Amino acid sequence: MKRYFFVFLLLLGQLHALERESTLKMYGVIFEALGLKAPIHLYVNDKEYRSVFRHSPDIELVDVFEKSDIVLVTTEEALELARRKKGQNPEGKPIVFATDYHFLKSCEKAVGAFYWRKGRSQLLFLKKRLERHHITVPERYDQFVIDEL
Amino acid sequence: MKQPYFNRIIFGIIGLLILFVLYLQYAIIENTEKIKKDEIQKSEKYAQKIVQYLRAKTGGHIESALTNNPKLRDQLNDVLQAFLTENYQYIFVLKKDAKGHYRFLLDGSKEEAVEYQTIFFPQSSVFDRVYETQKTGIAKQQESTQKIWLSLLYPIVEDKQTQALLVVDLSEEYADYLNNLNSPLKVLVSLMQIFLVISMALLVLMAYRYYKFRQSVLNDTLTGAHTKLYLEEFFNRNRLDEYNAILIDIDEFKEINEKYGYDAGDAIIKEFVQAVLAELSLSAKLIRTAGTEFFIVVPKNEIEIGILTQKLFEILKEKKYLTGNDVASLTISMSAMVIPKGASSLQAIQRILDEKLLEVKSRGKNNFIILDLQSIDDLRYRDIDYIKEALEEKRVCCLYQPIVCTQTKQIIKYEALVRLIDKEDDKKLITPHHFLKVIKGTTQYIKMSKLVLEEAFSTLHAFPDIQVSINLDLDDLYSSDMMKLITKHLHKNREVANRLTFEILEYHEIQDYDKVALIFQQLKTYGSKIAIDDFGSGYANYYYLIHLDIDILKIDGNLIAQLHTSPRRTKIVLQSIQKLAKDFGYKLVAEFVCDEMIYEQIKELDIEYAQGYYLGEPKPIEAYEKFIKL
Repeated sequence: MKRYFFVFLLLLGQLHALERESTLKMYGVIFEALGLKAPIHLYVNDKEYRSVFRHSPDIELVDVFEKSDIVLVTTEEALELARRKKGQNPEGKPIVFATDYHFLKSCEKAVGAFYWRKGRSQLLFLKKRLERHHITVPERYDQFVIDEL
Repeated sequence: MKQPYFNRIIFGIIGLLILFVLYLQYAIIENTEKIKKDEIQKSEKYAQKIVQYLRAKTGGHIESALTNNPKLRDQLNDVLQAFLTENYQYIFVLKKDAKGHYRFLLDGSKEEAVEYQTIFFPQSSVFDRVYETQKTGIAKQQESTQKIWLSLLYPIVEDKQTQALLVVDLSEEYADYLNNLNSPLKVLVSLMQIFLVISMALLVLMAYRYYKFRQSVLNDTLTGAHTKLYLEEFFNRNRLDEYNAILIDIDEFKEINEKYGYDAGDAIIKEFVQAVLAELSLSAKLIRTAGTEFFIVVPKNEIEIGILTQKLFEILKEKKYLTGNDVASLTISMSAMVIPKGASSLQAIQRILDEKLLEVKSRGKNNFIILDLQSIDDLRYRDIDYIKEALEEKRVCCLYQPIVCTQTKQIIKYEALVRLIDKEDDKKLITPHHFLKVIKGTTQYIKMSKLVLEEAFSTLHAFPDIQVSINLDLDDLYSSDMMKLITKHLHKNREVANRLTFEILEYHEIQDYDKVALIFQQLKTYGSKIAIDDFGSGYANYYYLIHLDIDILKIDGNLIAQLHTSPRRTKIVLQSIQKLAKDFGYKLVAEFVCDEMIYEQIKELDIEYAQGYYLGEPKPIEAYEKFIKL
């Protein structure tokens, strides 16, 4: 029985590892599109996300909002924080990126978002907000850049 | 049932099963696809009805109708929600904005319904195609993280303009449900596939084992030459008369084994085989027929048999074999022949080559012989089927050679000599040396003996004044079947049996004289006489005179022939035999009296009877009728 439980845990671990891999890969692409280079200082207060990003060699998790290169808004708390904090430079770092359409819409600082809708992945960047941060995404991401929500 | 047919049937059944399983698999896939197609068609009709409803409610221009009417939006969202079943994951309506981005107009989701005009990236080019072509389309779901099987895209067109797109997402559970409709059959097919895979694996294993077994049976493990079984199988597939044959035997190999040991002997045989193979083409076959005997068949069109035989003989004779610190050499005896056209009996070929090889061996070994055309022509007489047919057709006759009184030259007896009559030419008679060995020990031999006995007794009945002698091998008398046959005929013809003489030939030394004496006694019960043939040579020796009750001694013809070459010494021997016979009271017959000179000397030696071509050739009894009447 013990053995089966161990095998079950191993399989679960494998599945989890796969999901983690795909998430890291996806955000790796997004951060690259936003012009960030390793080591990327990431602020995210969501435990689940932190446990994922901990495994990336290019990302360093930071606990201070202002010391981060990018902030991932995954919760209402993070949304509030992003709204409140001015950062080092209001138009510069940290870049705010949302994980939900609602956060993107609610936070003027958020330059883009990645989320799932109707079973399809949705990646979008807001042109004006990118310009505010002087970010130019590579051409291959142009289709995801929109003028307004 | 023959093994190849059995194998074919097994493989045939397995093949049919594979085809059947493949067909089942194909049928299941086809059936599932058909069900899915039907369901998609149903969904299309479903979508069509939704679109009809939306058009009715919005007048076709859906966006303008909804923009300033949130109430209508809520109402229509509820309607879409009502259309949702467990088969449909999402139902929503999109439109393209001026920038070409899709935006939600309506969303029937129960939870987390999307706001009006929210941007949406469909992740499929089919959306654009449907929007442009205004034809229904199906987008397969590329991403696997969400539970969507496929998206049915239905354009809402008004004034030839695509106003919006109705998207009906069919759930993955729905696809699973459709796929599982045939699951019992799928399980069955899977089980059959497992069974077939295991069967195939077992068959492959069996085939491999069978192959290995055949290899061991068809090839000699020591030398790598083929075995007799291979030869038989080979000529089941190939025509015998397209090959030439050679028989090789290593002379006195026993001495090599004794001198160098069996391991060295084995090594020498292996090397010998390699040496032979080196001289043969790939299409020639080398067969180890016995310990030191090898049979070779070579395609006729490759090399003339005489050249090859000579070449092999020279090479093998010259070859040296290194055994430890010694160098050994071998001598070989060979017989070779061109297999005549139409020949089909491998055994007959082997038999004749064997006989010729024995001839070589008896002449001192270390030589070879290539069969002449006459010998080859006579081959067919050695074919057991040919002989069998002759006996069935009673193409058997006896020729009679007179035995005459030396002093008076009067015929006192005839020796009946069996002949087969040629199938094509009834004037051509076949002598026993062609066929006797072939049928010895078989039922055909008994059949032939019966015919000879019948003929001899018939002659005795037809000519009451003559005596006839017939030849019998002593081995025949050991056979209960033959003894039954002889005693039956003696009893049946008892009134003439006293005019019959059995000339006994012996090829082996008699082990049990008492038994032979008893047999002779049985033969003499009806008054028949016993003559010992070929006395003075081989096994016909003086023991006979001591232990057996015989009537006549027939002096070996070869001994008589010596009168030509060594008359003085031969006369001394013959005189002693004559004296012996006289003292024992036996009649004496000299064979091979081929000319007057010998006849005169026999007469001079006081040998009572003589037989030979000078005195009369073997002829049908009718040819001697005038002498009989005299």
